[in-house]
Amino acid sequence: MATQQLAGNGFTNAINLSGGFKAWTGQSAFDGEEDGLELFTDLSKPTDVLIMAYSLEEGLQDFYNSMVSRAESEEVIKVFTHLAAIEDLHKDRLFKEYTRITGSDDKEKFLAKMQKQMLEGGLTTEEYLARFGTDLERVDEVIGMAMSIEGQALDLYSRAAQRAEDADNKTTLEKIAAEEKTHLERLGELMDSILGENDG
Amino acid sequence: MRWKQFFTPAKSMNSAEAKQLLQDHELTDVQILDVRQPAEYHAGHIAGAILIPLPRLSDSYDLLAKDKPLLVY
Repeated sequence: MATQQLAGNGFTNAINLSGGFKAWTGQSAFDGEEDGLELFTDLSKPTDVLIMAYSLEEGLQDFYNSMVSRAESEEVIKVFTHLAAIEDLHKDRLFKEYTRITGSDDKEKFLAKMQKQMLEGGLTTEEYLARFGTDLERVDEVIGMAMSIEGQALDLYSRAAQRAEDADNKTTLEKIAAEEKTHLERLGELMDSILGENDG
Repeated sequence: MRWKQFFTPAKSMNSAEAKQLLQDHELTDVQILDVRQPAEYHAGHIAGAILIPLPRLSDSYDLLAKDKPLLVY
């Protein structure tokens, strides 16, 4: 109905998404269902999964930290600082899990394997910025972007957990997935509060 | 009231086709429009989608580019 209304008003390229948002298979993201998961399915060893996950967490943490330095709103700074700090906990947990599995606590070696350029959703920062066309001057767009990334991360960890054969490894991934869900909710609340302020 | 709208055929795409459309275009060259209510939008939406709830749509045409692909849901 909205599409027809638009088409009737000069929007010649209006396209209806049949089935609406419910039919959309990517969770708050452009990428197909399998995007990002490839990172994990291509990696058969739990240790490789942990290394990749660690790099993803670091990527998101970098994003939050850079946003903290740019943000003007105290509320945004507070929330992003908090979220960046939580990524430290996630990284610690991932390294401990790596140590448990391998018996090696050589962090340098671990870090050397890490791919810093990756964000949680499986795309590089540049790809993300380009893909989302995020206006970094706009707080709601930045939060929206963070939500998209956390949404991807949640999805990624959930599915990696489902495929994990080692029970403890599965538990670790599930715990992180649960925390990503909390992040997402927290960002949603921040978005509501910011939008509420803007709407007066 | 524009009667024309009832007779204007609108293109339709399924999820897979829509994804292909988005992948084939830079984000600046395609628009995604969410016409649901703000609460629904906040609960989850396609990344990059603009929210213009249906009740406000007829007053908001200026916010959209007429010549670019516009995916609506």
